[in-house]
Amino acid sequence: MPETRLRKLFNPWKSSSVNERPWEPTELRPRNRHPFRLCYLPICAAILLAVAIVGILALPAGASPQEALQDAANPDYRPFPIVGSRVAMWVVAQLHLMFAAFVLAVPMFALIIEIIGYVTKDKRYDDLAYEFTKLLSVSFSFTATLGAMLTFMLFILYPRVATYMVSIFSWTFFPYVFLFFLEALFLYSYYYGWGKFSPKVHLALGVCLNIVGTAIMFIADAWLTFMNTPNGISETGALVSLPDAINNFIWMPINIHRLIANMAFGGSIAAAYGAYKFLGAKTEEEKAHYDWMGYIGNFIAISALLPLPFAGYYLGKEIYAYSQSLGITLMGGTFSWLFIIQAILIGNLFLAANYYLWVSMERIEGAERFRRFIKYLLASVTITFIVWATPHSLVATVEEARQMGGAHHPMLGVLGVMSAKNTAVNVMILTTYISFLLYRRGNKEAIVPWAKTGNRVQFAIFAVTILFVIFLGVYGYFVEARVRIALSVPQVLAVLTAMISVTAIDIFMFKNAKKTGEIKWGQMPDRAQYALFFIALTFAWTMGLMGYVRAGMRQHWHVFGVLQDTSPDAFTPTLGFASNVISVTVLIFFLFISIVFWLSGLSGKKPWEPKAVDAVRSAESVGTERAVEAPE
Amino acid sequence: MKSSLKIFGFVIVVLAFYSYVGNTVPQKITYPPESADLSADMTPDELAIAGADIVAGKGTCLGCHTVGSRDSGLRFPDLGGIATKASTRIAGMSALEYLAHSLYEPNEFIVDGFLAGMPAINRPPIGLTDDEIKAVIAYLQSLGGTPSVTLATDVGYVTEVSAIAPAPSGGATLGAGLDGPGVFTTYLCNTCHSIDSPDPLVGPSLFDVGSRLSKAEIYEAVMEPDATLAEGFPGGVMLTTLNALGFYQKVSPEELRALVNYLADQQGN
Repeated sequence: MPETRLRKLFNPWKSSSVNERPWEPTELRPRNRHPFRLCYLPICAAILLAVAIVGILALPAGASPQEALQDAANPDYRPFPIVGSRVAMWVVAQLHLMFAAFVLAVPMFALIIEIIGYVTKDKRYDDLAYEFTKLLSVSFSFTATLGAMLTFMLFILYPRVATYMVSIFSWTFFPYVFLFFLEALFLYSYYYGWGKFSPKVHLALGVCLNIVGTAIMFIADAWLTFMNTPNGISETGALVSLPDAINNFIWMPINIHRLIANMAFGGSIAAAYGAYKFLGAKTEEEKAHYDWMGYIGNFIAISALLPLPFAGYYLGKEIYAYSQSLGITLMGGTFSWLFIIQAILIGNLFLAANYYLWVSMERIEGAERFRRFIKYLLASVTITFIVWATPHSLVATVEEARQMGGAHHPMLGVLGVMSAKNTAVNVMILTTYISFLLYRRGNKEAIVPWAKTGNRVQFAIFAVTILFVIFLGVYGYFVEARVRIALSVPQVLAVLTAMISVTAIDIFMFKNAKKTGEIKWGQMPDRAQYALFFIALTFAWTMGLMGYVRAGMRQHWHVFGVLQDTSPDAFTPTLGFASNVISVTVLIFFLFISIVFWLSGLSGKKPWEPKAVDAVRSAESVGTERAVEAPE
Repeated sequence: MKSSLKIFGFVIVVLAFYSYVGNTVPQKITYPPESADLSADMTPDELAIAGADIVAGKGTCLGCHTVGSRDSGLRFPDLGGIATKASTRIAGMSALEYLAHSLYEPNEFIVDGFLAGMPAINRPPIGLTDDEIKAVIAYLQSLGGTPSVTLATDVGYVTEVSAIAPAPSGGATLGAGLDGPGVFTTYLCNTCHSIDSPDPLVGPSLFDVGSRLSKAEIYEAVMEPDATLAEGFPGGVMLTTLNALGFYQKVSPEELRALVNYLADQQGN
C-alpha cells in the first residue's frame, strides 16, 4: 500500500503487519495527558525564543491546511495543574502583551525625545531618552521569555488550535523570526551605542528599531485578529488566500489601536518609573529630574489616551461590519457590563490625569490665576464620568423593577445608551484637553497683539464644539438606528478639529510669550506620584480587561465560526472571575516591572568597593598569613 | 525600602478595588449552546415551546431582537406580532414562506429603517439544524398567530450537510454520536456500496468486507480510498464524493471507529 498524506493519520488498527488483528484501543487517538510542569520553564530568553521558533517551523509547517484540518478534527487539549489551561494561557499571554507593548512603545517616545534634544541642543532631553531606553534591555528579555513560554504552552495545551493556526500562517513565521533578530540588533545597538555614534546615525538606528518593532506587531496582530474575524479561508476553514487572512476585518483597526494604546501604556509605566525614583530620591536635583521624567511620561500617556477612543470606534465599527452578532455579543450581550467596568477605568484615568495636572500647576509660578477654573473642570469630568458609567439596564429587585416599570430606570435609563455615552466621552476628552491647555499656559502670558481675539476664538471653538456634540447626542434619541450609529463620526471629527485648531492658535499665540515665573521641578507632593502609579495601574488593568474581551467575545470558538472550543473551558466565565485573573496578572506584571526598575537603577550605582573595616581585616589577614609564612 | 512597601501596598489596594468593581456587576456564566431535543411526533404547540428555548438560547436571537418592545430606536425589528406582519411583508409570499426566507436568507428583505446584518442561522457560528429552524418558525408563528409547523412540514429549504459546520469546527454535527450503520447511511455510503448482497453497485459490495480485509485495511480504504483499488472500479470517485460531503472534516473519531467496526462485522452471512 503506497504511502500518501492520509497515511499520516494514526491508524489504531495498524501494527507491524496489516494482516494481524491488533489490540483495539478504547480511543481512536490516544491523548497525551502528561501535565505541563513549571520546572521545565526556561531560564534563558534567547535560547527559549530560538527553540520556540524552531519548534513552530519544524512542527506542522509542511502540512497542508487539509491535513491540519484532519488532525484538528479530534478535540485535543491538555490540562494544566491547579489553575487549568485557560487561565495559564490567559495570564502568560497577557503578561507577554504588556511587556511587548512596553518594549514597542518606549523606543517610540525615546526617539521623539532624542530628536527634540537633537533639535533644541538641550542635553536634558538626550539624558531623559537614554534613561527611558535603559528600561528596554531587561524588558526585551522578559518579553522574549514570555513569548517563548506562550508559544510552548499553546502547542502543549492547545495543540489543535496551534496546528490549525500554523496551517494558515506558517509562512508569516519566517519574516517574524527575521524581524525579531533585527529588532534585537537595532535595540541593543541603539542602547549600547548611545554616545558612540554620530547623532544622526544613532537617530537612524532608533528609526529602524521602531519600524522593525511595528512590523513585528503587525505580523502578530494578523494571528490574533484572524481568530476573531477569520478571512481568506474556504467554507471548510482551509486557507485560500494568505494576504486576505492577514488583512482581515479588524487587522488594521487593531494595528492602529495598539500603536496608540502602546504609547499610552508605555508612557504611563515610564511615568511610574519616574514616580518610583522620585519617592526614593535623596537630593533635590534627583527629585527635580524624576519629577520632570514623571511629567513627560504622563504627558505621553495622556496625549495618546485622548485619540484612543476614536481608534476604538473604528475597531468596533469593523467588528460590526464583519458580524453583527459578534458586535452585539461584545457591546450589547454577554459583555455589556464589561463596558461599565471599562467606563469606570477610563473615567478614573481621566480623573487621575486631570488631578495630576491640577496638582502640577502648584509648582508653576503664575499658575494660581487658573485655579478658579479647576472646580468647573472637576464638575465636567465628574458629570461625564457618571453618564458614561450609567448602565442601560439596572440590576434591581422585582419590587424595584415594578416601580421603575422595567429594568430601565425612567430617568437614568436614558443615559445608558450610546448617544449619551458618546457625548459624555467626547466632552470628557475636551475637558482634559482644557486642563492641559491651562497647565501649558501656567507661567506664560501671551504678548501678541491679537491675544484677546485669540482667546475669544478658542473659547468660541470650545463652546460651539461642545454644543454640537451635545446636540448630536440628543438628536440620536429621535432618529432610527442606522442614522444614530453614524452620528458618532461627526462627534469625533468635531472634537479632533477643535483640539487641532485650538492647539494651532495656542502655539502661535504663546510664541515668545512673557514668562511670569519658573516651573519648580521637584516641588511636588508625594500624592501626585501616587496618581502616576494609579494611572499606570489603571492602564494595565484596562489593557487586561480589553485583552479579555477581545478573546472572550468569540465565546465558545477558538476561531470564530470556524474552530470550535470543545474543551472543558469552553464556557465564558463571570466578569468577577475575569477581574480576579486580571488583577493577579497586573500584580505579577508590576512585580516583574519592579525588577526591571531595580536592574535599570543598578547601572547608575557606584562600583562596589570594600568597606574600610573589611579592608583593614583583609590587610590584617594578609599580614598574618605572611607572618605564618615567615618562619619557613 | 519604606517607600517601596508603601507603593506595594498602594498597588494591592488599587487592584483589590478593581477586582471588587468586577465582582459587583451582574455575574453570569455563558455556556456553549446545546442542541434542542426535538422529535418527529411533536405538535406545532410543543414545537413552538421548544422554539422559544432555541430563540433565547442556541439561536441567540434575543441578543438583537426584542419581543413586544415599544421602545423607539431599536437596532433590529421587534418580533412582537410577527406572525401577522409576516403575511403582509412581501406580496405573494405566505407568512410561512416569509419566515423561512428571513431565517435562511436574512439579508434579502430588509425591513425599512433597519440595516442588513443578520447571519444565516443555519450556518456557523449559530448553525441551527433544519429541524431547529422549524421549531423557531413555530415559535414565531405563535407570536400573534397559531403555530402550524411540524418537523414534517416542508418550509422550502434544506441545508446541505457540508453547510452545517465547517471542517475544523466540531460544530453541530461533529461528534454527533452516530453508530456504524448511521455513519454508513448519513454519508451516503449505501448509495454506492451494497451491504446486504454481494452484487456491486457503483462501488464494490461490502457484503463480506470483514472477511476480506482487516480493520486496519478497512480504515485505510476509508481514509485513503485510492491507495488500493478493487479490480474493475475507477479511482477518485469515493474520495471526491466523501470530500464533497465533508466526511473527512466532520466525522468524529468515535464515529469512524464505529464505521470500521460495523464494516468489519460484515462477514457475508
